[in-house]
Amino acid sequence: MTTSILDMQHITFQTAAKTKDEALQFIADFAKEQGIVKSAKAYYKGLKKREEEVTTGFKNSIAIPHCKHKTVKKPGLILVKFKNPIDWESMDNQPVHITFALAIPEGKNQEHLTLLSTISRALIDEAFTKKILEASTTEEMFTVIKNKLLTQGN
Amino acid sequence: MSKKKIVGVTACSAGIAHTYMAAESLEKAGVAKGYEMKVETQGSIGVENKLTPLEIEEADVVILAVEINIDMSRFVGKRVLRVRAAEAIKNPETLIERALNQATTYGEKGTKAGIAKMGKTEEGGFFQHIMAGISYMIPMVIASGLILAIANVYAFQKDEAGRIVNWGFDTSTFIGDLMSNLFSVGQVGFLLMIPLFAGFVANSIAGKPAIAAAMIGTYIANDAEMLGAEAGGGFLAAILVAFAAGYLVKVLKKIPYPKMIQPIVPIMILPLVSTLIISIFVLYVIGTPMASMMDFLYQGLTTLNQNYAAAPVIVGVIIGAMVGFDLGGPINKTALVFGTAVFTDTVAKYGIEGANFVPQTATQAAISVAPLGIWLASILFKKKFSPTEKVSAHSAFGMGMVGVTEGAIPFAAQDPIRMIPAFVAGSAVAGGLAAGLGAKFYGGIGSPLGTFIGYIEQPIPFVTWIFSVMTGVLVTAVIIGFTKKKVE
Repeated sequence: MTTSILDMQHITFQTAAKTKDEALQFIADFAKEQGIVKSAKAYYKGLKKREEEVTTGFKNSIAIPHCKHKTVKKPGLILVKFKNPIDWESMDNQPVHITFALAIPEGKNQEHLTLLSTISRALIDEAFTKKILEASTTEEMFTVIKNKLLTQGN
Repeated sequence: MSKKKIVGVTACSAGIAHTYMAAESLEKAGVAKGYEMKVETQGSIGVENKLTPLEIEEADVVILAVEINIDMSRFVGKRVLRVRAAEAIKNPETLIERALNQATTYGEKGTKAGIAKMGKTEEGGFFQHIMAGISYMIPMVIASGLILAIANVYAFQKDEAGRIVNWGFDTSTFIGDLMSNLFSVGQVGFLLMIPLFAGFVANSIAGKPAIAAAMIGTYIANDAEMLGAEAGGGFLAAILVAFAAGYLVKVLKKIPYPKMIQPIVPIMILPLVSTLIISIFVLYVIGTPMASMMDFLYQGLTTLNQNYAAAPVIVGVIIGAMVGFDLGGPINKTALVFGTAVFTDTVAKYGIEGANFVPQTATQAAISVAPLGIWLASILFKKKFSPTEKVSAHSAFGMGMVGVTEGAIPFAAQDPIRMIPAFVAGSAVAGGLAAGLGAKFYGGIGSPLGTFIGYIEQPIPFVTWIFSVMTGVLVTAVIIGFTKKKVE
């Protein structure tokens, strides 16, 4: 069930983006490429709107941009590791290196939402975030996350 | 020193990420500091890890890391610190310490628990509480009402002549015995439904501690024997008692109890004190007026009946109106008792030829008008009835057809200002017509069916009776159609 949300294909490395806006744009395009959303533009706008309400930049170089939007076809997690540090107005004022972008379709889908909330909770665990930051391949990241989700339970 | 107990609620505007990260941060930080922590999340999944009233009562402080309005009524009287969800993620340790040291009591004058207005606690008021009570009462009304209605059909027996009908169960047969028992089952439901309603109205106002006082108080208010009255107070008394109990508990909650006894306040102190006060209020304040009101009404009816013996329509209208007023309450009971008493007295004195049928005929013509009127209105004015109301209206039909007026109570309790005039008008019309047209109700079922199941002497067989009752039903339905608000 984990793989329906988190797919190795949904993890990528990116080197070009330098600003939050470029990063969000990249995430949206990547989501479209992976068939998670119908329109990259609509998803980008949704993410942007959420950022305007309150920043999703947390601690330890991680941001978790997300939105619930009708353009989302299936719930998904898109993981991007950026080469350049990106200013995300995060809580510890540190630049962001990794984004956990969540795509949530409209309507109710309890099981997937629970999984996404588990991921959110997992990000509080510093040992976990450290491992992700240190991971150098998509396979490694995938394994770290999968193991974490399995141990976190429900 | 025992472990400090901290509870919290987290919620953010999207309900996807911050809610859960904030909860996780708080839990981790709290546990690390050796506190007992429980954090409720109100996210897009719904409410998880819900705080119980007991946990809230026992908590030393409440931390609300929320960005949306949440229901604050649970936290009245508690020390509350309200911050943005992000703060709980950023620095949970500091937040917890700040909460323990700086949280202010929520809901007391001159203090503020955080930012701006706190959402939905005040809206609705009276209506919201009544609706809460009704939603819990309806299943019981329907179940017991329909059981009662089925049993009632078997209660009418014809004598050897096959005409005059006795009301009662022939318990010598199996079916008769069963129906007699089912009738009692239905009555138990009707006995319980009014206190149940009151209990949940009070629960809506002041939470669980108020249920005991409201249910016990309402039960007493409907127990004529305990009150020393001829009849109980019906659902109008239930509304009165429920609000008295609810607001009494609300006031009692505000008393600053010593910390040592705080844990037992909601489970012992509040229910005990409020039940004592409400019971005494019902016994000594409501009981006597109810008895004297019945007495007064009864005397008034006697005078009316003596003075206007020549104009049955006047007596019929007044008796009919009384039947429709409180659907089984004291005014309704006065009219019913009066009708039966006048009939049996005059039969005893003057024989069946000289008996006065007027009050009894009017009560029986009027008794089914309220439930049937509701049903007809739900058919004619579909848009003004919610799906739940339609189900209630259909079961009201079943009850109305066998003369069980209580089927209309949920509607009367929900919207007394509009419903009661409609019931009174229709019932008065039915009572006035039946009496005025010279129908004589000997016995049977108080509904349009009474002319078939029972014995009613009337100028035009079947037609006079059905016409009288159905005209009343139509009047009630039309008034409801015009006054009832549209369903949103």
